[in-house]
Amino acid sequence: MSRWPIFSRYADLVLLAILLALVPAFAAGSPYYLRLATLAVVYMGWTVAFNLIFGHTKQLFLCVGALAGLAAYVTAVLSQQLQLSPWITIPIGVAAAAGLGALFSYVSVLRGLGVIFVGIVTLAFSLIFQNLVLGLRQFTNGETGLVTRGLGFALLEHPLAAYYLFIVALTLALVVYSFVMGSRMGFAFRALSDDELTAELSGIDVTVCKVIAAALGSAIIGMGGTLYGFYNGIISPGLFSFANVDIPVLISLLLGGMRTRLGPVIGAAVFAVIEEFVRPFGQLNVLVDGLLLIVLFIAFREGLVVNVRKALGRTAMLWPTWLPALAPDDMSNARPSGKMSPRAE
Amino acid sequence: MTATLFDGIVQGLQLSLLAAGITLIYGLGGVLNLAHGQFAVLGGVAAKLLLDRGAHPMLAGISGIVAAGLFGLLVDRSLLLPAYRYRGEERLLLGLILTLGLSFVIDGYLNYVFSDFSLTLSLPIASVQIAGIPMRTAGLMTSLIAVMVFLALFAFLRWTLLGKTIRSIIENEVGAELCGIDPVRTRTIIVGLATMMAGLAGIAQGLFSSLGTEMGPGFTILGLLVAVVGGVRSINGALVAGVFLGIVNAFASRYIGAYVAFIILLATAMATILLRPSGLLARFT
Repeated sequence: MSRWPIFSRYADLVLLAILLALVPAFAAGSPYYLRLATLAVVYMGWTVAFNLIFGHTKQLFLCVGALAGLAAYVTAVLSQQLQLSPWITIPIGVAAAAGLGALFSYVSVLRGLGVIFVGIVTLAFSLIFQNLVLGLRQFTNGETGLVTRGLGFALLEHPLAAYYLFIVALTLALVVYSFVMGSRMGFAFRALSDDELTAELSGIDVTVCKVIAAALGSAIIGMGGTLYGFYNGIISPGLFSFANVDIPVLISLLLGGMRTRLGPVIGAAVFAVIEEFVRPFGQLNVLVDGLLLIVLFIAFREGLVVNVRKALGRTAMLWPTWLPALAPDDMSNARPSGKMSPRAE
Repeated sequence: MTATLFDGIVQGLQLSLLAAGITLIYGLGGVLNLAHGQFAVLGGVAAKLLLDRGAHPMLAGISGIVAAGLFGLLVDRSLLLPAYRYRGEERLLLGLILTLGLSFVIDGYLNYVFSDFSLTLSLPIASVQIAGIPMRTAGLMTSLIAVMVFLALFAFLRWTLLGKTIRSIIENEVGAELCGIDPVRTRTIIVGLATMMAGLAGIAQGLFSSLGTEMGPGFTILGLLVAVVGGVRSINGALVAGVFLGIVNAFASRYIGAYVAFIILLATAMATILLRPSGLLARFT
């Protein structure tokens, strides 16, 4: 521990925020690259949330896109139909996503569903959402999409300002994530991702933990969805489809490393770069994606962060101890050991 | 009314074929095959290639099914090997990713090379009258084949030694291994068999209406839904769930409309999973 525990705990986040904030300087004023960077930040946020839900509490939510879309559509439709200010509609949209996520989690814990079953139920919900949006044409404008320009904050329509806003939102999500993982709840998450039954037996309320993780994760997903919807200027079912959101998020998480703080961010960044490289292949990019997915997984099965840690472990002396992101065994955001034991009450 | 029911059963049996394959691979290999629908498309593409070279439709269809099976064997002996090195949840996760990658590769390749592909097989007689109801021979024939395949599968699992070893591995892989059963060899056979069933479903689609290269993901998702509604470990369950969801879908699309029908289908699947988490026929394998 360094002399500044608060700084030490969040040093990697500060570093990350600075790095991301410098990106527009390298984009050299190209609106195309700025847009790519903004999209990458949105996906980073979704992956961080998915890490909380799937990585830490083992609930395979295959409805990241649908939850984000739900929040975006609820917000946009309310803003458009009732002429409400985004300060009111955004919280409603986020709450809708969080509530639905919590409901899925609660019902699946209640019915004792395994990983695959949760996956299929949420996948079915994703497809239902897509069809509902297509069917409720009078509100959502169907496949053509709903124009959100002018409904949200003016700030989100300025590309550079929007980019910085998304960085602030991502950093906020990461701070909330670190705070939760450093609290008693975080220890409970670690325990139940190791062995649910043992966790339950040692007095952890697994249901509450899972529902809170799902609600918090879904709220972050919803927040990303609404802001992204306003930023994009138009929302359509395709924007939030399973292939467009869930698959990239799943790949990014596994690529970066589950149950790590920076893994989702690094994974999403690497995925965005890969996508940009395969774009010239045109129609063959799906094939290249598939090959990369297979090769990367056979090579780095535990994710990039864990592999980097292992490589650095051999040269541990060279690594500054105050940078906790790459410290072994993800105790980086744990509290000092004195506070670990339950307080006598 | 009866015609709608018949339509539902025909479509349902086709879904059951896909779902039973997914169930078999999951039960035996512990891998949820996310590229299963793509095998169906692959079988159809192989059949079409032969058909274009002037082969008899029957021969082309059978070759398509065999081609899907052979590709399945190849995948099992190469791509899935890293997944088989692990057990339980590790294997499931790695298997999910590897088969997802495979589905991208197949989809990307087929959509690129055969961009305007469509397989339509037509039978000499288009429809017959049975008990006063006109029925399409294509539907009759595909359901007849599907029923025969299922009967053969059940007989195979119940009465042959290989079938018994397969059931024992589904029940407990370690236990079966201790009794001297080689799970690797059996697994390869089953993956071949399951992908052949997928190929058959693809050909059936070509008979019934037409098969396109973009239909793979749809097949996979429907197959997965049906397999899970059936309980992922039970073949009877997959059969019953397929027919059940097929009938629900046929009635909903006949009387309500396509968008709502699909929503009803998905909601029924969700409700079944929530009401009976271990599958429709939880007790029978």
